[in-house]
Amino acid sequence: MADSNLLKKQVPLYLVDGQVIKQGAEARVYRGKFLGRSVIIKERFPKLYRHPSLDEKLTRRRTAQEVRSILRCRRAGINAPVVYFVDHNTHCIFLEDIVHSVSVRDHIVSAQASGQDTEHLQTLADKIGQVLAQMHDEDVIHGDLTTSNMLLAGGAEQKNINLVMIDFGLSYISALPEDKGVDLYVLEKAFLSTHPNTETLFERLLKSYSASSKKAPVVMKKLDEVRLRGRKRSMIG
Amino acid sequence: MLRTQDLELFPEYTVTQLLFKNVKNATELRKMAVNGEIKGALINPSMVVDAFQVLVAANKAVHLHTIGKMKTRSLYSEIIFNLSPTNNISEAFKRFGISDSDSAVYFVLVHNKEETLNVDDIISKVDGEQIDVGQVSDMTNAAIIKKLYKVAPQEEKCGSLLDAVVCRMATKDVA
Repeated sequence: MADSNLLKKQVPLYLVDGQVIKQGAEARVYRGKFLGRSVIIKERFPKLYRHPSLDEKLTRRRTAQEVRSILRCRRAGINAPVVYFVDHNTHCIFLEDIVHSVSVRDHIVSAQASGQDTEHLQTLADKIGQVLAQMHDEDVIHGDLTTSNMLLAGGAEQKNINLVMIDFGLSYISALPEDKGVDLYVLEKAFLSTHPNTETLFERLLKSYSASSKKAPVVMKKLDEVRLRGRKRSMIG
Repeated sequence: MLRTQDLELFPEYTVTQLLFKNVKNATELRKMAVNGEIKGALINPSMVVDAFQVLVAANKAVHLHTIGKMKTRSLYSEIIFNLSPTNNISEAFKRFGISDSDSAVYFVLVHNKEETLNVDDIISKVDGEQIDVGQVSDMTNAAIIKKLYKVAPQEEKCGSLLDAVVCRMATKDVA
């Protein structure tokens, strides 16, 4: 029906006067209210450079995968924002807004700047390794592991670190050690480039990962292989 | 006592929730809901963890109704269906709707903001005692809910039972 097609092309009414907090190539993120609660709304807007039917299929699939991965993580006890509502028409996901939180990225940056807190950073690395091991044991590949996609709920000063994983937009389900190795490689690259002089901290993270997952040895081996394959590798010898 | 909530996504609609205990005419009420005399969804309170859970179900129902993609035949049956973790409609009614032997009833009504809802009319039809909607948490049968939604103890490490239930309701159609 022509009418419903027109309806689809409009920006959802509830987003027209919402506050955009981030815009990426894939989606726009808003903060808003939903049933009286503060929520994050992730809108996968139509990509006009794509063929419409392909765009629809792809966007629908991406939205579904994201939501499935979040549920799968939560079922295993891994903290991720609760999904409140999915609008499959406009491809919007309404998620719990983790108020009073700081990204791991910001925390590490400020901890390094102030020069204190190395003890706490060690514990943080342990926790991250442990959570990632849990996630990979559930065969959830995050796909975009960076310190900006990890939140410390309750602020940085918590005694018990409450780590929340966010942005499952590129995530998928896979049991392959290769995919898990690549996931860790992405984190390694992001970690070391965002936070200078943190090689030992990242090693501690990997050690914690190995200690927390039974399937870790195979994944570590794959990680080594991926490192050798990586970009800008010198092809001498 | 009763609770009203506007639907931010559907500004013309409001959701009103009421809770009754010591209800003696559950059979009658159910008939009235089915034949349209009572324009609302009647839910079994033991399956409700929190009013938010019901709001999420109502929001989804109104959304699907607006785009013409409901799975059931009416808005109210859709609300009950949305509460259920499975895609079996009759099972949803059996578990989440009220039965003749129920002594407590949770009412959900969806109406236009413009029309004033005749709440007294509904209250007069119920042979029971109206209590605050917040008291539904006293009636929650957490054990049955955990079993039905398959909530494992490990999931409760990252959130409440309400979080687990709402997440499943929201993702039912894709996973």
